[in-house]
Amino acid sequence: MLSKRNFITYAIAFVFILLLNFLLPRMMPGDPLTAIYGDEALIAMTPQLKAQLVERFALDQPLWQQFGAYFLALFQGQLGHSYYFNASVLSVILGRLPWTLLLVGTSLVLSTMLGIILGIESGWRRGSKTDRAMLAGLMSLNGFPDFFLGMLLLIAFGVTWGIFPLAGALTPYSGLSGLALLFDVLRHLFLPVAALTLAHLAGSYLLTRNTMITVLKEPYMLTARAKGLSQRVLKYRHAGRNSMLPVVTQTGIWTGRVVTGALFVELVFAYPGVGYLTYEALLARDYPIIQGVFLMVAISVLVANFLIDLSYPKLDPRVSYAY
Amino acid sequence: MHIDLKKEIKESGPGKTGLFILLLMVAMALLAPVIAPYNPYQQSTASLLPPSLSHWLGTNHVGQDIWSRLVFGARTSLLVGFGVGILSTLLGTIFGVSAALVGGFYEKVLMRIVDAFIVIPMVIVVILISAYIRPSILTLILLLSLLSWQGGARIMRAQALSLKERGNVTAAKSFGASRFYIAWRHVVPDLGPILLVDFIYGVRRAVFMEAGLAFLGISDPTVVSWGMMMRDALSFSYLNVWQWWLVPTGVALSLTIIGLTFVGHAAEPVIEPRLRGVEIA
Repeated sequence: MLSKRNFITYAIAFVFILLLNFLLPRMMPGDPLTAIYGDEALIAMTPQLKAQLVERFALDQPLWQQFGAYFLALFQGQLGHSYYFNASVLSVILGRLPWTLLLVGTSLVLSTMLGIILGIESGWRRGSKTDRAMLAGLMSLNGFPDFFLGMLLLIAFGVTWGIFPLAGALTPYSGLSGLALLFDVLRHLFLPVAALTLAHLAGSYLLTRNTMITVLKEPYMLTARAKGLSQRVLKYRHAGRNSMLPVVTQTGIWTGRVVTGALFVELVFAYPGVGYLTYEALLARDYPIIQGVFLMVAISVLVANFLIDLSYPKLDPRVSYAY
Repeated sequence: MHIDLKKEIKESGPGKTGLFILLLMVAMALLAPVIAPYNPYQQSTASLLPPSLSHWLGTNHVGQDIWSRLVFGARTSLLVGFGVGILSTLLGTIFGVSAALVGGFYEKVLMRIVDAFIVIPMVIVVILISAYIRPSILTLILLLSLLSWQGGARIMRAQALSLKERGNVTAAKSFGASRFYIAWRHVVPDLGPILLVDFIYGVRRAVFMEAGLAFLGISDPTVVSWGMMMRDALSFSYLNVWQWWLVPTGVALSLTIIGLTFVGHAAEPVIEPRLRGVEIA
């Protein structure tokens, strides 16, 4: 069940993202054309093109009409034209998106699952040596920025030992197909995924462990124990399942973090996803791409959060009573 | 909420370690001109030198002394970190406490805005804005603070809501105390430990963000920072210079964040008292 409160929250967030994207280039000092279309556009600029560009976003009109034109263009799925890549922003981003989805999806699943399992095990043994070692280890790992972890992995496994490729998502011009292609993709994926997973493992681990500790004090755990259930059932079915719930609510926020983490990790491994694209666009000051990426990432994170909010009461019936 | 924060941190092993690391970093930042043998910006022809007695960590691609840059980089990191920590905690307290005490429409509107900001991925917003304005250190502090007080405000509001039902507040009200007086004298002082936890996590987020932006190359290019040094080092990863260029810088950054995480985690029972009594090494 979707509450009105939730809906308003997402509406505000959505409007903020649109307004930011719309106002920022228009508030910059200097020619708004540069700020909207990027440095590269100026090189190709003719009076004719200029008139066309001004017309497109109604730049000679008052601000609210400009917003109308902007919103209309967005609604039609037009994110603009990148003069650096000489293609429409949407097609450039969509071309890179699969790699990022692959990277983010794999890392998100791996880090959440590993985090939950480690959290359950660690919380179950709370206070023991294993628990302390795991806690200190994972909290330290949490302190490593994802791009630093990535660089360390790159230097160790790529440069020094040469086990994994240094950059890219595929071996160029290899003409591989079938299983060999799949293997090649996985080989390129391994280090970036490892960096992202390790960097984001601690979040779900700490949360699961914390909940696990509180859950273990619940009276129903005592009852379950008194019934003579096995340790495994106690640990995973009674305590573990209930400890997972807060992790689910956080997944939306983590999706955001892993996506932005991917921006940095892709840069390190020159992995041709949306993050590396952002980096290229930043270097070339190709603002249409930066804006397009911002819009897509911000809105997908919002949608992810929204879907999780929707599914949460199904997972934990207590939530729907609470409202 | 009568949990002694000092005791909480002192009794936790990682808490003590974290505090020690942080003090070390702060000392390095404060004493930078004394510790650093060279001017971190001074270029020389001696580029990409390996470590030696005169250059402990060698020199970078434009002949700057890496050790000196590392030491001065601590200043940037901690300045941004503590700046954002203080400002965002301040904003969080003002909005959180006022929402709880004023209530009504004001509270409703404010809390919807807070919720909205919590679901927006902050990093990408900061990247977009920085791509346009290329913020100086001061602008960056303001920008990060404006985007990161919301989480704290929510916790502060929840706490203030329970504090305002206490006897001392009712007593003060019956004597005709103003809302501001109540907030200042009776609510904020009792928020103490929560403020500190919020502050620590604020600092950590900001240190992370500053390094990330510098790594992407959208920070102030005239100020030395760890993220920027790592970005420079990355382009030379095929040489063995990473051993004294990349690794020490990355370790300094990671240690700072680990220190903050440890202290923050040790202090967390303040927010979630149920975690107490669980010995965490």
